[in-house]
Amino acid sequence: MATKDRSYKAEKVIERLGKKLNRQVVGSLVGCVHCGMCTEACHYVLANPGDPTFAPAYKGDQLRKLFKRHYDWTGRVFPWWVKAKSVHTDEELEELKDIIFGKCTNCRRCSINCPMGVDLATFNRMARGLLVSVGIMPEGVAVVSKDQWEIGNQMGVLKEDYLETLEWMEEELQSEFEDDPSMTIPVDKEDADVVYSINPREVKYDPRTIADAAKIFNLAGENWTMPSEGWDMTNFGLFSGDDDLGGSVARRLYEKVIDLRGKKLVISECGHGYRSTRCEGPNWGQMDVPFVMESSVITMLNYIKEGRIKVDKTVNNESVTFHDSCNNARSCGLFEEPRELLNLVVTDFREMYPNRSENYCCTGGGGAMSMSEYTPHRLKSGKVKAEQLKATGAKYVVTSCHNCVDGLTDLIRHYKLDMKVTQLVNLVSEALVLPEKKVTIPEAAEAGLLAGKKILVVDDEPDIRIFFTSVFEDNGATVFEAADGDEAIEMARKEKPDLITLDLNMPGKDGGQVFEFLRKDDELSEVPVCIVTGRPELRRLIYDRPVRPPEGYLDKPVDEETLIRNSRKILELA
Amino acid sequence: MGISKNINNHTLSLVTTDITDFEVEAFVFYAREDLQLGTGFGNAISMRGGLTIQKALDVIGKANLTDALVTGAGNMKAKYIVHAVGPKFQEPGIEDKLKTTIFNSMKAAEEKGIKQLAFPSMGAGFYGIPLPVCADIMVTEIKDYLENSATLEEVIICALDKREYNAFKLNLDNLR
Repeated sequence: MATKDRSYKAEKVIERLGKKLNRQVVGSLVGCVHCGMCTEACHYVLANPGDPTFAPAYKGDQLRKLFKRHYDWTGRVFPWWVKAKSVHTDEELEELKDIIFGKCTNCRRCSINCPMGVDLATFNRMARGLLVSVGIMPEGVAVVSKDQWEIGNQMGVLKEDYLETLEWMEEELQSEFEDDPSMTIPVDKEDADVVYSINPREVKYDPRTIADAAKIFNLAGENWTMPSEGWDMTNFGLFSGDDDLGGSVARRLYEKVIDLRGKKLVISECGHGYRSTRCEGPNWGQMDVPFVMESSVITMLNYIKEGRIKVDKTVNNESVTFHDSCNNARSCGLFEEPRELLNLVVTDFREMYPNRSENYCCTGGGGAMSMSEYTPHRLKSGKVKAEQLKATGAKYVVTSCHNCVDGLTDLIRHYKLDMKVTQLVNLVSEALVLPEKKVTIPEAAEAGLLAGKKILVVDDEPDIRIFFTSVFEDNGATVFEAADGDEAIEMARKEKPDLITLDLNMPGKDGGQVFEFLRKDDELSEVPVCIVTGRPELRRLIYDRPVRPPEGYLDKPVDEETLIRNSRKILELA
Repeated sequence: MGISKNINNHTLSLVTTDITDFEVEAFVFYAREDLQLGTGFGNAISMRGGLTIQKALDVIGKANLTDALVTGAGNMKAKYIVHAVGPKFQEPGIEDKLKTTIFNSMKAAEEKGIKQLAFPSMGAGFYGIPLPVCADIMVTEIKDYLENSATLEEVIICALDKREYNAFKLNLDNLR
């Protein structure tokens, strides 16, 4: 209860502080010698050099003085010497809130630079938890925490909306893969080898990452599933300091995997989600987890190493740098695997400096993106990160964290950097080499999918003519070839084909001229034409002409399945 | 999954479900004094029930701690929502306030002629009331009320997850 000189909430905070003290926290509270080593490590200090209230040691002192006053003998014997001081009013608790939520992202860069091993982030998180327990927290923290407690995910995504998004992404995949029945997003499949958990941000703002991951799992031939409930691997308990929330959220996910009898939990690219689920959750939830937990970065890397998926890095040929998420790198040691994977799927990777566990915070961590009242602080403190990014000269910054995606995107906009943010799952998906599929011939069309059709292949490259001719003949068509424009017109007049595949860039009459001639010829104007070119910029040779556009258009290189499918579509056989 | 207890020919049940997507005549929402639905269950009520619920609350304006009042449930599966303003975040006298809030919720439901009422774990979770305390108070208060209730026939406690379910089950198993 409230005492004569202390508010009820202040009394409760002091009371609970005593229950939260353990060896790790006390070690950090008593270990600081104010040497200043942490000062240069903090991005807030670097952006606010004249303001000592941003220094990690100062921030730590705000809790340290309480500890000294109430729980350390030195504070009881000579409080003036050790700067022991109590807290008395709700206003003082509000001031403490602005420091521990507004001036620190719990990134732990100061922790690894402290020669005394003081882990400011650990007791800063504990201090957050003390305030949350008496209802003192930024509005954004309250909003997100309540959603995660009661809806089951930190963005308040309802179950029906989540499932609809998965169905939508499955439809997109099947559309991309021509109704391939193996391109699915299985939900609540029992005995799967992989249960895939995601960040609700993916459902709400970036569903493409779900589709990209599904594509990778399916092409790897993985026996996988996504849970209908307990699917959120993020955990706002890490940011709010609420261990009960942390434990509840982690248990919901673990228990769902156990219910499904899943063998491995794969965690999508999210720094705090990975740390919470894999590293902290079993402690918060007081639970032995009977299955393997793995970052999707490692899953994708292993798929490539094991030959389960093939990638072509030349597809991703823009310059790329990598930002280490604090929770992945500093707290979980996950920094070599993403680089190894990155080097397999991009051609121009440029390191930023400093990097790995010494990298600077994106400034969006620790729940900062949900606390709009501190946005000016956050953006100002991002100066050092912006300078790091700019120095790389890269066009893309890759990160394995959704908070970092948002934090970096904000910084890029604020500091007007010519750069975009992406994630590894997107780059791996882009680089995927799709397996060549044998075109299966329906029994009713044993004679060939193009049986009875006459096709004229026009191309100056012999390899292309041989490939096209071979594919068409294998599927029952009669094929004629022409190596230049004049020969194409002559052959078309003579053979009256059902379809012409036409290259654009040829010696003599180019494809555009041939196309216009065919369209204006009384006998050939109705013959469908499929343009095939490796130079999309030459489309103007076709579309600038005052004639009906072509029936089909293919970019080189063309695979067998695409060629057959498009030809059948043009010939109205599909 | 669920269990039921017979209390003087009335039923007290425990299930694991999303209370805002549950087929029940009425359910209790742990409300704020300003009667803004807000996030969490409030967000689900807004999304699934439509705008009419917040509009009805706006007409009322505000409520005092331990008050309970009834509105329609819009497009939700339930017909009514009992908005009960419970204690939050370690305030003084939290147990007595919680007991009164639970009692007032059932009383408001009975006055509306409601026969079937679902409760969430009142004040546990976000508002920080320890789950064992919440479960103990809820089961005791509901049992006492059902023993003498005239209209209310069935009360269902909706647990969010196994953690909550097990806490309530412990108390229900100890009911005589």
